[in-house]
Amino acid sequence: MLPLEHLQTTMARSVLAVEPLIAAKMLTAGTADPLARLRVYQNNTRSSLTAVLMAVFPVTVRLVDERFFRFVASEFIRRHPPVESRLARYGAGFPRFLKTIDTLSDMPIVAETARLEWTIAEALDAACLPSRTLSEYDSTNLGPSPDIVLQPSLRLIVSHWSILSVWTAHQQEAAIDQQSAWIRRPQRVALWRAGDNVRLALLDRANFAFQHSLKHGLGLEHATSRALAHDPSFDLVSALVRLFGDGLVTDVRVCPRPFSN
Amino acid sequence: MTPAFQSLTIPAIAGIGLRSPHIKEMLSRRPSAGWLEVHAENYMGDGAGVEALERLRETYPLSVHGVGLSLGSARGVDHDHLQRLRKVCERFQPDLVSEHLAWSVADGAYLNDLLPLRYDEEALAIVARNVETVQDTLKRRVLIENLSAYIAFADSSMNEAEFLAELVERTGCGLLLDVNNVYVSAHNLQYDAEAFIDSLPSDSIGEIHLAGHATNQVGADTVLIDDHGSRVPPVVWTLYQHAISRLGPRPTLIEWDTDVPVLDVLLGEAMWADMLSASIMFNRKQAVRRNQSAGHRSTPIRLPVDNEPTTSMPVLAAFAAARSAGPSVSATPASIEEQYHAAA
Repeated sequence: MLPLEHLQTTMARSVLAVEPLIAAKMLTAGTADPLARLRVYQNNTRSSLTAVLMAVFPVTVRLVDERFFRFVASEFIRRHPPVESRLARYGAGFPRFLKTIDTLSDMPIVAETARLEWTIAEALDAACLPSRTLSEYDSTNLGPSPDIVLQPSLRLIVSHWSILSVWTAHQQEAAIDQQSAWIRRPQRVALWRAGDNVRLALLDRANFAFQHSLKHGLGLEHATSRALAHDPSFDLVSALVRLFGDGLVTDVRVCPRPFSN
Repeated sequence: MTPAFQSLTIPAIAGIGLRSPHIKEMLSRRPSAGWLEVHAENYMGDGAGVEALERLRETYPLSVHGVGLSLGSARGVDHDHLQRLRKVCERFQPDLVSEHLAWSVADGAYLNDLLPLRYDEEALAIVARNVETVQDTLKRRVLIENLSAYIAFADSSMNEAEFLAELVERTGCGLLLDVNNVYVSAHNLQYDAEAFIDSLPSDSIGEIHLAGHATNQVGADTVLIDDHGSRVPPVVWTLYQHAISRLGPRPTLIEWDTDVPVLDVLLGEAMWADMLSASIMFNRKQAVRRNQSAGHRSTPIRLPVDNEPTTSMPVLAAFAAARSAGPSVSATPASIEEQYHAAA
């Protein structure tokens, strides 16, 4: 008789169909064929995890057709099953997996759109903190380089492809002109959770660098210099008004002034 | 910051599983649902659902039902996942916490399904150790749910009910009796569903689950699939009736996970569970009263209720009892209502 851990490993591999099935003599199922019943578990695992992926990647499903998506999802599940039971975290590797599919090699925008959708899923699972307004700091001396804290759900994604255009075009049921949407054109996207929804915005290089630096806690001075490096005409005031206006600022901290003599 | 919630005890009436399509309506309508149950794993992040549940928790008693702890895993429970469950419990302060007698993690993979154990001494020692770890971490008793199964292991040395009874004995855990699971497993593995329920330690059963199942025909094999995708079928209501008759009222959950209907359908199913439970208790008390009445009379009489058609509905049964009691019981609506409340 197999030790329980060995038995469970054998069963798990049988359910994922990565190894020959568990020996039928180890199982019972009344008068039914136990190996046929094992397929119930195989189907449950595959179909439920496929449903998880379809919920996270709805635009990708539409881009490649549902039947093809289900086929690719089955392969992904078999090779990369979840490693934890928190399924909100399952699918992070799916965009990268799509890049390995030969059939999709001439459609890189599929994997890139999937990458955007995964980023949206991450943002939707992140906290949405109360935002601050500019007027709250009217009478506060913030020093030369305050630390601006942004919403934890803020995600910044850059792609060589027009991923936001593709994603936006698939939010309605209208017929899609795929040829015009699939353009090799760099897009920098900021997205964050606002209540039940996610908000997305296109950024230029300077604003992307600015928000990226702030998101990583590098302070306003560093963020501004990064933005100016990309665009000498970068408008700091407009950028700050935009951040506050979008509800992205959750705190402004005065950094201690470095000691000087 | 975790808000401090008022302690709300889950009553021995029906509640519903909170599903995402219903959250907005629950927040706006605040319908009369006895209590709510959520899947722990859906509330381990910081999404909008978490904020909504915090608001609902102010109104409704809450049960947290884990589906991913894999209590039957030979390698033990995932420490990180257990800590996440602890945080969910600290955040929402539920009255009940439950998990399954099953495993879903092995070989580094989470299968997103609940697989059966080989019921033997080795598995019992492992599950008991895992349950104790969970109870120690959460600092509370947890309820363990019986499984819906499609296969069993030939080398099992006991059945699932015996395993659960021994688990209760060793760990002090409670039980969650899923009546639909009993029906599904009993059909698929060919055992007596009522005998399964009768052999569980009844005092340990702190909650009941009800749900629908699908029927699949695979060649000559009719296999029932626990899909939680339809109304509670009559056969499961009948088994529920058997359980309540034996156990008395218990917190009862209507589960619905696939093809989720409008909220009112779930609320209607919950109302039906309440009526059925109240009816059983009403009839039981009526029977006791009849017996007491018969015992007090010097000469045996034929109880009028014996000649009346029986009904399972408490209100109708009350009318029937009032009619047959004749002049000794007032037939005014107020008396009937009084009698019903006294019985229920």
